[in-house]
Amino acid sequence: MTAVILDGILLGLQFGLLGVGLTVVYGMGGVLNLAYGQMAVVAAVVVSLSMSSGLPAGPAVMLGILAAAGIGLALDLTILKPVYRRRGEARVLLSLLLTIGVAFIIDGLLVWRFPIEALSLSIGGEPILVLGVPMRTGSLLASAITILAGGALILFFRSTTIGKAVRSVIQDEVGARLCGVNPSAVRTLILTLSGALAGLVAATQSMTSPVPISAGFDITILALLVTVVGGLGSVRGAFLAGLLLGVVNAMSSFYIGAYITTIILLVAAALTILIRPSGLFGEHA
Amino acid sequence: MTTEDFDTASETSDLLGGGGGVRQVSSLTAFAAIAVMGIALALVPIWIGDSRTLMGVAVTGLLFACYTIAFNLIFGSTGQLFLAVGAFAGVGAYASAITSDRFGIPFPFTMILATGLAMLVGGVFSWIAVRRSLGIIFTGIVTLTFSLAFDNVLLGLRDITGGETGLVVDAGSDTFLSRQIPPYYVFLSLVLVYLVGYVLLHRSHIGWAFRALRDDEIAAELSGVDIARYRIYAGAIGGGMLGFAGALWAHAEGFISPATFTFVHVDVPVLVMLVFGGIGTLMGPIVGAAVFTYIGEVLASFSQLRLIAEGALLIVLFLLFPQGVVRALRSGASELWRKLRISKP
Repeated sequence: MTAVILDGILLGLQFGLLGVGLTVVYGMGGVLNLAYGQMAVVAAVVVSLSMSSGLPAGPAVMLGILAAAGIGLALDLTILKPVYRRRGEARVLLSLLLTIGVAFIIDGLLVWRFPIEALSLSIGGEPILVLGVPMRTGSLLASAITILAGGALILFFRSTTIGKAVRSVIQDEVGARLCGVNPSAVRTLILTLSGALAGLVAATQSMTSPVPISAGFDITILALLVTVVGGLGSVRGAFLAGLLLGVVNAMSSFYIGAYITTIILLVAAALTILIRPSGLFGEHA
Repeated sequence: MTTEDFDTASETSDLLGGGGGVRQVSSLTAFAAIAVMGIALALVPIWIGDSRTLMGVAVTGLLFACYTIAFNLIFGSTGQLFLAVGAFAGVGAYASAITSDRFGIPFPFTMILATGLAMLVGGVFSWIAVRRSLGIIFTGIVTLTFSLAFDNVLLGLRDITGGETGLVVDAGSDTFLSRQIPPYYVFLSLVLVYLVGYVLLHRSHIGWAFRALRDDEIAAELSGVDIARYRIYAGAIGGGMLGFAGALWAHAEGFISPATFTFVHVDVPVLVMLVFGGIGTLMGPIVGAAVFTYIGEVLASFSQLRLIAEGALLIVLFLLFPQGVVRALRSGASELWRKLRISKP
């Protein structure tokens, strides 16, 4: 039981970080990026390719994160420009449709050029006892990195001027503009950050289980579920929802079965929308 | 006939094709267009009838035309983004296949049953969306979760659905539906029926309500249009159309699997076809389905390139012709016509 919950928490931390990357983009721009999972997969492919060409794991992961961040930046500077010109639901809808297109292109390119590539970072070492449960070194390292990144993110949003500027745009774009915040610069920053987060999660995920090139759509859906349960646009909500869904996921796949687990997560997201559209942990009701 | 379009509609309405559409043409023109299209498509087997593969492709194209007309009714006419087109068709297909093969009920009856079930599901989703005032995005996400959950249920209930390997459908396999040419005409008739139904529906009071709530929901509600009721009508009718098409496909093809009805394989192409043809137009779905079936067949031997091409087309289409190619061509033509008239002495 302890082992299952602990497993769920470690998984949930990564879910949370994944959700944050999607939710901040939605929150500040009203952009639903359905190519999010593909950014993670591109990072995984870059890491895998650079490692097989002899680069050590550390720099390779950095390179992968840079690549994913680059995609985020490129999206912001190109196809999202016309999206920003619209407001409200039209913006979300257009962003959703355009990023599906991007996701298709990336998937197609990957299947075409690297059909069998998959990233799996094996971290050696003896299992370490946590609360009397032996845990794999890989998943502990992944969690440590995730916690560090999550802490850094929270610090960034709470304490730095740029972080506060980002939150101001999330709350009220016009108001932020009146206070001298440039929403377009903030959006560029956030899209880049979102890509970097996708890349980071791809790297930590691959320490426990392989990330194949076909994982893009699944990662996007997972991030979307976390985001919906946590409340669209809420950073804190995404972390809490990630932890919750992580534990639910671990429990139900241990006690019930894998395919029911997916259904439970989907139903949880649908019910959240129906019962509390602002999300379980949403900041504004 | 050039009507000046004073479009004061809401923000989304240009994406949803607010203005234009069926309203500008008379019933006679609409039925004439359907007839011409029907005759043109009826000649297709003369050209490719010898090839079993190509006929299969053509039937799939007609199936997607049916899907797109139904989706156009739900999304184009009432602005409900149902990202579960494949799942609704799957509900119809599996319901009809399982009840006919397991209980020995003749398949025409099970198809009616399956259609009713899909109608119910569509109506319920509309009802939920209206009651919880979900908006386009949350409606999209809720129906998308349904679509994914449905896929997982099919995979999980291995004993009933055959799981990933799929299900062989016996009912209908010994009729004309399994021959080479007849299914094409069956599906073509279905397309025509759906189109005529679409025109008649939009000519009725329901159509007036659809246009009112699509152009300005609040104004429609204030003028006494019961938005909830008409959304549910659209959801139920569209859902039923999808379910019937799916069930017919199951009996004609003789085999169904979860992959036939997934979001990626059905909803995304349908969305592309509808946007290409023009959301809210009568003939848009047919044009979209025809063009993309053709492109798909040309690119069939390069399956990865097909994914890339579809993605690129999606982006280009939404950036350049958010109102659809058909509408863009038509407004281009009427612009040209006006210039010609002005230049006459």
